[in-house]
Amino acid sequence: MDSQHQDLQPGSTGPGAAEVFACRDVSVGFTKRREAHRVLEGVSFTVRRGEFVSILGPSGTGKTTLLRVLGGLHSAEPGSDVRFHGVPVTKPPEGAVVVFQDYRASLLPWRTVEKNVALGLEGKLSPALRRDRVANALDLVGLRDRAKDYPWRLSGGMQQRVQIARALAMEPEVLLMDEPFGSLDAMTKGQLQDGLQRIHQLTHTTVVFVTHDIEEAVYLSDRVLVLTGVPARVTREIVVDLPRPRDHITSKELPEYLDFRHAIHTAIRGSEREEALERERDA
Amino acid sequence: MHNLRSVARLRSSWNLPGLCLLVFLGLSWELLVDLNVISYEFLPSPSQVAVAGERLISSGELGRNAAHTLVATLVGWIIAAVVGISVGILLGLSRVAWGFSVATIEVLRALPAIAFVPVAILVFGFSLEMELIVVVFVSQWPILINTIEGVRSVTPAHQDVARIMRLGRLEHIRKIVLPSAAPHVIVGLQLGLALALALAIVAEMLGNPAGIGYALSTQQLALQPENMFAYVVVTGLLGLVLNAGFLRLAALLFPALTALPEERV
Repeated sequence: MDSQHQDLQPGSTGPGAAEVFACRDVSVGFTKRREAHRVLEGVSFTVRRGEFVSILGPSGTGKTTLLRVLGGLHSAEPGSDVRFHGVPVTKPPEGAVVVFQDYRASLLPWRTVEKNVALGLEGKLSPALRRDRVANALDLVGLRDRAKDYPWRLSGGMQQRVQIARALAMEPEVLLMDEPFGSLDAMTKGQLQDGLQRIHQLTHTTVVFVTHDIEEAVYLSDRVLVLTGVPARVTREIVVDLPRPRDHITSKELPEYLDFRHAIHTAIRGSEREEALERERDA
Repeated sequence: MHNLRSVARLRSSWNLPGLCLLVFLGLSWELLVDLNVISYEFLPSPSQVAVAGERLISSGELGRNAAHTLVATLVGWIIAAVVGISVGILLGLSRVAWGFSVATIEVLRALPAIAFVPVAILVFGFSLEMELIVVVFVSQWPILINTIEGVRSVTPAHQDVARIMRLGRLEHIRKIVLPSAAPHVIVGLQLGLALALALAIVAEMLGNPAGIGYALSTQQLALQPENMFAYVVVTGLLGLVLNAGFLRLAALLFPALTALPEERV
């Protein structure tokens, strides 16, 4: 995509060639009431081009923080190494767009749906080109007929689709999604999962997807990174090679699907048990 | 934004029952005075006030005075808006500028407006200039304070969005900060407009020999209460018209704002 970046990779056929994100020893801490808290410690992983990677873990493990680090919205501690196409991430990298969990707070209420989607394109594209991009993005999420509406007139699921369209309009190389379907009802969630799967296959966009829903992670991902512990680290990595396109009925009845589900459940439960043991030892 | 919505409600409550009460109160006043139930030497009945008003209108005196007050109010308010909004944006955005000016603002804002009028008369003389200075000085406070507050009301979520969408500094101000501030600024402008009218009249009473305020004090000296009441009624109407006109203008300029759903307003 960017020749300057590719030059940094020695031999474009090497293992690093397709690496979009590379994290090594990423640690993040907060200071709360003058006390230092470590949220993430020694997190290492890579994301390859076109991959759908989920970051899965219980609530409060620092999944969102990790995603914000990838998106350049939060800086990691010194010693951490976060790279986007080999270049250290210090601000939101060009080509990566975050889809936030709270769609209500992240859409601009004074802009119509199409103007929300056009936000990142204004002044960068000619009006005709911009209109095309906005229309295409709204088509991808099936909301073209609501273009002139204000976002708060739409249902929660539709609002989240507007936010996804706003990200897609930027034609990003990577979508960084922070529990995008976390606050939606089960039915809407299922529909949006299939919509996202379709978009992923159509656009070959790389997706990093944060979730605490095991079913969702298995259903959507090529690879699941399990994040557990305090401070959290990647304790398990599971490659999900279920055939695509996946289907809510048939895919979820495959014995392999159940195996993956089982493996992740035990991984999370196992690490919880280990922590409990560790705490007992410490005490 | 609360104010905006409640004012909009106030306007929509100009309904039949509301008007009935007004008519009833007017009739009671008329009867109480005519039947001498209450008798103050200088309390005219509504019909006497109406006759006086008709006389003032046909002589052109009322029109001339009302026009003067209206012009002073609007010119002063527009200057106050320009000053208040631009300084407000600056102070809202720049921590340094805010740090330097916060003490001054707190002191000057606490100064009761009326106390300033005799001083202004002494310094600037009995003139339109004095009247405008008083109006601008007083009515720019709510505009300034609300603009500062509005500029600072940008949510962290919207700040993240601006960064992710790669908006430049100026784009961020134009597309995120100003729209976020708009509802606050409108409330400030509305408060400022009401203050501008009140202070124009006070300045005219005490200093500038023109307009409704001056007419009120001369009619008082001439012991003409029915003329005074006519002017009071005109002042009230002026306030109503200014406020309604302002809301109409705001709705025209910011369609998204007035269309905002209940829970957001």
